[in-house]
Amino acid sequence: MRPLEEKEMGEVFKKLMLFTGNNLKNIIESPSHEGPDPNPGRYCFRLHKNKVFYISESLVRRATNISRKNLVSLGTCIGKFTHRGDFRLTTQSLNLLAANAKNKVWLKPTSEMSFLYGNHVLKGGLGKITDSINQNDGVIVFSMSDVPLGFGTAARSTQDCRKCDPNGIVVHHYSDIGEYLRDEDDL
Amino acid sequence: MGRKSKQKQKIILPPELPPEVPEDEIEVSDEDLQFVNENVDYAGFVSGLDTTSITKHVTRVADLKEDALERLYERRLQKKKLKEEEEKEKEKERKIEVDRVDALPVKSLDGQVYYRTLAEKKGGDGEEEDGGGDKGIVRLTKTERRAKMKKSKKEAKKLGKQVENTEQVEATPQAAVLAEVKEDLTAEATFETKKRKLAELGIALLADPESNIKSLKEMLQFCLDGDDVLIKLGLLSLLAVFKDIIPGYRIRLPTEKELEMKVSKEVKKMRFYESTLLSVYKAYLQKLVLLEKKSKFQHVAVRCICTLLEAVPHFNFRESLLAAVVKNIGSQDDVIRKLSCSAIKSIFVNEGKHGGAATVEAVELIADHVKALNCQLHPDSVEVFMSLSFHEDLRKPGEPDKESKVKNKKNRKRKNAEEPSQLQESDRKRSKKELTAKMREEVTADYKSAVFTPDVKEQRKMQSDMLSALFETYFRILKHTMLSTAASSQANGTLVDGESGAHPLLAPCLNGLGKFTHFIDLDYMGDLMNYLKKLAGGGSNSDNSSEKCAKGLTVSERLQCCIVAFKVMRSNLDALNVDLQGFFVQLYNLILEYRPGRDEGEVLAEALKIMLCEDRQHDMQKAAAFVKRLATFSLCFGSAESMAALVTLKQLLQKNVKCRNLLENDAGGGSVSGSIAKFQPYATDPNLSGALASVLWELDLLCKHYQPAISTIASSISTMNTSHNQVYLSSTSPQQVFRDLSLEQESFNSKPDLRKSNNKRKRGSGPSTLATIEENLNSTGSLDEDELRKKLSNHFNLLRDFKENEKLRNELDRTTSALQLYEEYKKQKKKTARRGIKIGEKGV
Repeated sequence: MRPLEEKEMGEVFKKLMLFTGNNLKNIIESPSHEGPDPNPGRYCFRLHKNKVFYISESLVRRATNISRKNLVSLGTCIGKFTHRGDFRLTTQSLNLLAANAKNKVWLKPTSEMSFLYGNHVLKGGLGKITDSINQNDGVIVFSMSDVPLGFGTAARSTQDCRKCDPNGIVVHHYSDIGEYLRDEDDL
Repeated sequence: MGRKSKQKQKIILPPELPPEVPEDEIEVSDEDLQFVNENVDYAGFVSGLDTTSITKHVTRVADLKEDALERLYERRLQKKKLKEEEEKEKEKERKIEVDRVDALPVKSLDGQVYYRTLAEKKGGDGEEEDGGGDKGIVRLTKTERRAKMKKSKKEAKKLGKQVENTEQVEATPQAAVLAEVKEDLTAEATFETKKRKLAELGIALLADPESNIKSLKEMLQFCLDGDDVLIKLGLLSLLAVFKDIIPGYRIRLPTEKELEMKVSKEVKKMRFYESTLLSVYKAYLQKLVLLEKKSKFQHVAVRCICTLLEAVPHFNFRESLLAAVVKNIGSQDDVIRKLSCSAIKSIFVNEGKHGGAATVEAVELIADHVKALNCQLHPDSVEVFMSLSFHEDLRKPGEPDKESKVKNKKNRKRKNAEEPSQLQESDRKRSKKELTAKMREEVTADYKSAVFTPDVKEQRKMQSDMLSALFETYFRILKHTMLSTAASSQANGTLVDGESGAHPLLAPCLNGLGKFTHFIDLDYMGDLMNYLKKLAGGGSNSDNSSEKCAKGLTVSERLQCCIVAFKVMRSNLDALNVDLQGFFVQLYNLILEYRPGRDEGEVLAEALKIMLCEDRQHDMQKAAAFVKRLATFSLCFGSAESMAALVTLKQLLQKNVKCRNLLENDAGGGSVSGSIAKFQPYATDPNLSGALASVLWELDLLCKHYQPAISTIASSISTMNTSHNQVYLSSTSPQQVFRDLSLEQESFNSKPDLRKSNNKRKRGSGPSTLATIEENLNSTGSLDEDELRKKLSNHFNLLRDFKENEKLRNELDRTTSALQLYEEYKKQKKKTARRGIKIGEKGV
């Protein structure tokens, strides 16, 4: 377990920025009320076996007691670095992203399952959409009852959505909570 | 006398009226006056005889006789040349008796008949006979008429010379008398006569415009006069005449080709009439436009122009009228501006009068005007757009395609049918067919121009032109406002006060956008929303400068932006449910910036209704944040505002079951509170405020509100059950409630007994000061106002004393503490100094 290097940090922030925009500040600065300390600490990012974790500082201190070999996971895993050195967000980061989302899409109940099987979001399945989404922005996908289902990138802007036909893709699938079942072994 | 009037008429007859005619007239009438003075019993005779002719004139039967007389006179003229003075006098005496029967009195505007004074009668006689003579001439054939005209001209010249001679002859013996009379005839009198002449001309025109059309020119001459009042009178009377006689169609002057063609005399007459009318109308308009620039005549000219535009928007020269009106639409002068605006509005409303073409022109002109003046206009000038109306059924896009398709099909069919037969047909036949086709086309074109129901396609085109001009104006205003606010924020807020009035057109522009949202093209929607979002945010995105910019745009204007954005969304985007997050953030912050006196509560209530009550779904977090903020808001402001807020709050709670956790008495929110564990009241984003972790303690305070309506609604909200899902939604809107309560508040103050009872019930355990107020109030019923005032002033004096006392005490505390601090500081300094010395000693 080690702190991220400058380049790695940049990669991680770039990805998070895509989904949260200016709310990235909240992710970094939000106080953690974990541990015995009366003063709230901060959250930080740690790299362990190619995976990036979002952990409170107090937990980091305590985790140092466990040897690197035995340490499987700590805090929240938000993504991992591929062999090429790219950073990829995983499903576990969803709660963090959803709380600070910039662009949101709400799915109709009928199309929820389709998305959870890893399909793209079509216009027909759209229940509600935030205005002023631009193409290729990061989008968080919610059910109509505000349960975060996953996230993806916008295939077209909100304006274009109005004109496209019902079968047109609105959000490209990136990750969804169905992966907890489908990719149980990998996570 | 008849003879004389005859002569005079001959002088007047030619169209190029010599300007010295009125002088002539005066002189002649003087003679007559003299004459009548000499024979006094004669005048009585005149008045006695005339009554019969009045009725004749009114029913216009007299014309016939006049004509007969006319001819008789002319024949005589041909026979007899001029005679000596005495002979003439004699003849006059004789003729007058004949003439008496037809002597026409003058009816003025107020309906009175003048025949007492001879001068006036003379004028009137001349006028009426002039008209009669015209008619008589018109009935003759053209050649005859010309011949007669020539003859009469010659005669008139001769006669004029002779008359002059005779007058000169006369003048020498009667110079003294004449001078006297002239002195009597002061400027006022001439003015009176001129005025009367004007009225006579106008009445004659209105009575029979076709035959009296020439007197239009004469009337126009009055407008060129030097006298201010007379010019104004002339303008107004011409206005009345034009309003009445302008036909219901557009006059098209005949082309040269048409002029060459032979036409019947009726057509000729008509053409003459129309061309005269048109030329005088043109001259009149030019005069109006010219006079409009002079401040003296501005009001009159503008009134004339506006009335004309309202009355005859279909007629020629509408463009110049419109241009003149539009120029005044943003005038600083209230009267002029109101006139112009109402004229434009009437054009917009009464489209049937001109077929819609004028509307398009007006809208385009206003758009250009706004562009030229860089949006620095009075709001009224854009407000007029609100009375525009569009036909929704014209927007069906499928219709034209269908039509053209059908046509194509028909054509194809016809072609197919024609092709085989064409081969057999001879060339002559074909050419004949082409000719008929051509004719048919021409006929249809004529029919189209003549028919009253406008072409659908054309109308659609006009409407699209109108819409593009309209939205061009609106977008220009929005853009201009945005640029100016951006500039003001860059100028570091130093010019903020001057900048606040820099976008006067924004409010009507937003209103218009709200009204016509459903006509906006989807392509523009994105830009429009972006503009609105920026404007709602006060022209900037960053939080720091938003406060600065808020001064540039008032809170109500920013609220209006939010409302318009929602209206746009609602009217266009039923298919796609878009969440306007940005505007919610703005509203969330604007609620804090609202000040009851400064900003319009109506707008706030409308915003609450449109954005919060009518929106279908909300995020739980957002709804909770708004609930909390509205509750806080309703604590701070007047009853009307807080009532509106509470009604919104209630509806939000009814829709969002989970938000009712706020009503539970444990802070923290439990499992629903989400990632934000603590309520942050100063957060700018409702999603990040963590409102679910808070408790609605405000409601408990509001239950004790002095206004019974508020206390009841607060208590009903606080008893809402978390588990029980109420299907019932109250139908009252925040807007309505706001209006009711703000009205009630006015009447509330005048009903002390109602208030008393309420106060008594609810404030039984209130503090002692309140109790004294209540006592005061209780005693008001029996005491008179003076005493009440005295008591109140006593009370407030006391309160002020309390406050002053408190302030003084605070000051005292502060100074004493400062003194203490200073002493401590001194002590410490001494200590350190001593220590320093000690250390120094040690070092040594």
